[in-house]
Amino acid sequence: MAEKKSTTKKTESKKDTKKVAPVKQEVKKQAAAPAAKPKAEEAPAKSPIDNLAKAEDARIGVFICHCGTNIAGSMDIEAVQEAAKTFPHVAYVDNYKYMCSMPGQTVIHKAIKDHKLTGVVVAACTPRLHEPTFRTATKDGGLNPFRFEMANIRDQNSWVHMHDREGSTDKAKDAIRIAVAKAALLQDLHPKAVPVEKAAMVVGAGVAGMQAALDLAAAGIKTYLIEKDMSIGGRMSQLDKTFPTLDCSQCILTPKMVDVGRSPNIELMTWSEVHEVEGYIGNFDVTIRKKARGVMTPKEAEAKGIVGGGCNGCGDCEGVCPVIKPNEFEIGMKPRKAIYVNHPQVVPLIYTIDFTSCVKCGLCVTACGPEKRAIDLEMKDEFVKVKVGTAILATGYDIFPIENKQEWGYKRYENVISSLEFERLICASGPTGGHLVRPSDGETPKRVGFVLCAGSRDNTGTGKPYCSRFCCMYSLKHAHQIIEKIPGCVPYIFYMDIRSFGKMYEEFYYRIQDEGAKFIRGRVANIIEDKATKNLHVMADDTLLDRPIDMEVDMVVLAAAIQPAADTNRTRKLFGVSCSSDGWLLEAHPKLNPCGTTTAGVFLAGVCQGPKDIPDTVASAEGAASAASIPIHMGEVELEPYFASCIPEKCAGCGMCVNLCPYSALSLVEKDGRTVMQVTEAKCKGCGTCGGFCPGGAIWMNHFTTPQIVAQIDAFLLGGEQ
Amino acid sequence: MSESGINHKFAFYLGCIAPNRYPGVESASIKAMKKLGVELVPLKGASCCPAPGAFGSIDQSVFYAMAARNLVLAEQMKMDIALVCNGCYKSIWEVNHKLKHNKDLRDAVNEVLKEVDMEYKGTINVYHTAELLYNDKFIGVDKIRDSITNPLTGARIAVHYGCHLTKPHKDREFEKEVMLNTEHPVWMEELVAALGATPVEYRNKMQCCGAGGGVRGYDIVHALDITNEKLINLKEEKVDALTDICPFCQLQFDRGQIEIQEKFGVSYGLPVLHFAELLGLAQGMSPQDLGLDLHAISCEPFLKKVL
Repeated sequence: MAEKKSTTKKTESKKDTKKVAPVKQEVKKQAAAPAAKPKAEEAPAKSPIDNLAKAEDARIGVFICHCGTNIAGSMDIEAVQEAAKTFPHVAYVDNYKYMCSMPGQTVIHKAIKDHKLTGVVVAACTPRLHEPTFRTATKDGGLNPFRFEMANIRDQNSWVHMHDREGSTDKAKDAIRIAVAKAALLQDLHPKAVPVEKAAMVVGAGVAGMQAALDLAAAGIKTYLIEKDMSIGGRMSQLDKTFPTLDCSQCILTPKMVDVGRSPNIELMTWSEVHEVEGYIGNFDVTIRKKARGVMTPKEAEAKGIVGGGCNGCGDCEGVCPVIKPNEFEIGMKPRKAIYVNHPQVVPLIYTIDFTSCVKCGLCVTACGPEKRAIDLEMKDEFVKVKVGTAILATGYDIFPIENKQEWGYKRYENVISSLEFERLICASGPTGGHLVRPSDGETPKRVGFVLCAGSRDNTGTGKPYCSRFCCMYSLKHAHQIIEKIPGCVPYIFYMDIRSFGKMYEEFYYRIQDEGAKFIRGRVANIIEDKATKNLHVMADDTLLDRPIDMEVDMVVLAAAIQPAADTNRTRKLFGVSCSSDGWLLEAHPKLNPCGTTTAGVFLAGVCQGPKDIPDTVASAEGAASAASIPIHMGEVELEPYFASCIPEKCAGCGMCVNLCPYSALSLVEKDGRTVMQVTEAKCKGCGTCGGFCPGGAIWMNHFTTPQIVAQIDAFLLGGEQ
Repeated sequence: MSESGINHKFAFYLGCIAPNRYPGVESASIKAMKKLGVELVPLKGASCCPAPGAFGSIDQSVFYAMAARNLVLAEQMKMDIALVCNGCYKSIWEVNHKLKHNKDLRDAVNEVLKEVDMEYKGTINVYHTAELLYNDKFIGVDKIRDSITNPLTGARIAVHYGCHLTKPHKDREFEKEVMLNTEHPVWMEELVAALGATPVEYRNKMQCCGAGGGVRGYDIVHALDITNEKLINLKEEKVDALTDICPFCQLQFDRGQIEIQEKFGVSYGLPVLHFAELLGLAQGMSPQDLGLDLHAISCEPFLKKVL
């Protein structure tokens, strides 16, 4: 049996040798001095397999990590170590309590020198966590860092088989055997450095996007700030006051909005959307769709030869427009015209035509006059291309459609409103001038019910399972506002538990209790409208008094859950960013890399990554701006050298791979009178689509070569001794 | 449509209250559904569903095994089950759903069924007839409207949905795909309108009838108190009749009115009809055929209005 196995192995390696026949000499040379620095830059220029290690000469070191008791507690490390000693090519085996610690790393680079190792296998956690650590250790020992291979015996083994000591021990042996088989065939690789464009993009101009853009601009980086709405400020500009300080939201936001408008380093593009993204970190080519606004800025007018023209925000057009529509900024509670601005403090102060409702009567054109000539009713969408080194997504959130929770009657009962509607009603610049009134009759309410967790922390399948994180606090603020504004008005807050976790938040909670707000611990089961009075009966279970209650109030405010903004999914796909099952964009690591994504050069700011209040949003934006500025300030970034390479002798020039490549990294070129494929390494992501498909086996996937993968499969299938 | 006009066949599970107290529900279901292309074939040898509150709360293994036995009878007929009661739906639908998705439970139940030489295989589905009536895939509102010969014009009819058909909402696929609404549904109002009557909304219509979950058996006064509250809300809307899709709810509203008069001294005289009975009336069946004279509360005032 053992003989048969070794025969198979021999045939396999013979085949391999045959495959690489044309470059046999180089292979030998490389293998003879594996630790020596090869002619780094020339190597890939020739055939990609030049520096392939030859398994026969491999001397692999295996280092088994206990990870405290994370690994050692669930398997027999001694047994794994003894087994590893018997694997082919293994020259040295050791184990240590924490391989990632400084002493652990020293074990590795000392062993490389003392035992003349050609490759390193660390059996520990995941490459996501510690690949960089162990590559550095490998490099410190004098080897090319890509001579390192990881065997995951923690996340995919000891953690999942915590109570199966024997099984996890066997599985660890398998994982190490497979890793050793690959390590024996690893090649020296050299990351490619590419220059980084000294510009950045921020998508979304709410408070997160604005803060990120301001920070980047202050760091001397040209920043394109893209906003799909007609003006900047986002959700925060819709709010009346902020908790717990009770600052006026607009008052603290407007200076930032003005700064954004004025910053020479920020190119603000409102009424615009990201249309297409190409390229990679350092070199993103982004196409932006500037939606037809119907109104020209002074700059745009000047470009068209209308000197001194363009929109100056005078509003004469709005006065004559005959079309009346509900204003979305005021959640439909105020009318607007077909040509309009969201609110008086907008940045930029440029009017916009809603072409879906414009009747093209031309009255606005006349009102605008021959001097400004700002209005162009025939304006078409424009596409603008920009090049940026890094990008930040700050696409924010929408309110969950709370009418889906039918038991509370939103949109069925007039006096049930959402928290965002409350913000507009209590806001001095809102549709009622800051007077809270009942939609049914315009009367001032004397009893207001607040339903917390309206659609949040909801496992019924209708709402969202997560906590929206700021509803408790703004509902406390709402309670304060009605106590302050309406003498004798009592807020009744129906809650599960009050989450007042931030700085000065708990103190604010006590303050609102002292001010006289009534707190009822219990989820609201049902709201019933009194047909005659339009009052509402809030039916809940008071879990502190252990009795059902029926509370009659004049008005109910639903603290609605939030969800990712409508266009988030489209935008994230353009940038290759993942999302979690609830739709929020996925960070590279929830704790240690909350602003990064798995796409190099793309970062997240604010609520698009998950619910956040304003302080957390701004902090996250500053973090993202800092992270996004690093590659730009470094000037160049190293790309993982996992790209595909063409073996010209084998390539038939069929070009099938060129069409398959999702990154447009491949092209056909003339070489020595033949048509062969060529890889633009900076564009290649090493996905392997071409390599897996190539009918002639002419594509070499660096670090995931066919011989390496075959060796791994063999090592698994053939079992223990070979 | 096949030549006989029958598109679907179901094993008809009767339950206990319908055949014993309101036989019209049985006859109307069979006859009316036949006109709509659905044949209900009697599920012979069926036992109690068993009642979800009375059995489910006391001994789960008996609950599962009994319901599973009824399911196996239908599996042997190679037919999906159709039934007329929310309580039966809760037991039989839910046990079917759970046994299909939980192998350990299925093995345990089959262990018990072995004693009577049966094995649950999970090959059929369970439907409420109301669901069949509303869903276009089987019948649909339009087809019902076309089958009406005696429209119930002018009658103000309120709907009681009952609890167990729509909740828990999480697992009920037809809720998500067809009826779309658990907390304030209107699909039964659509069915009522299809019969030519005027559906009437009333305060807190999704409130329980008061009987379910063993409340009636455990604390009759409490149960009647809930029923009374519903009746007050219905009286405010001056409805001519209340319709339901659950014989147990029907019993509570119908006989409950007598008990409420005895205990609280108020009388409502509100006729209570299962939707199958209403459908039968609208399709021209006589009140005698429907056994309406067996109701505790006289249906006469309502019948005068619509016949």
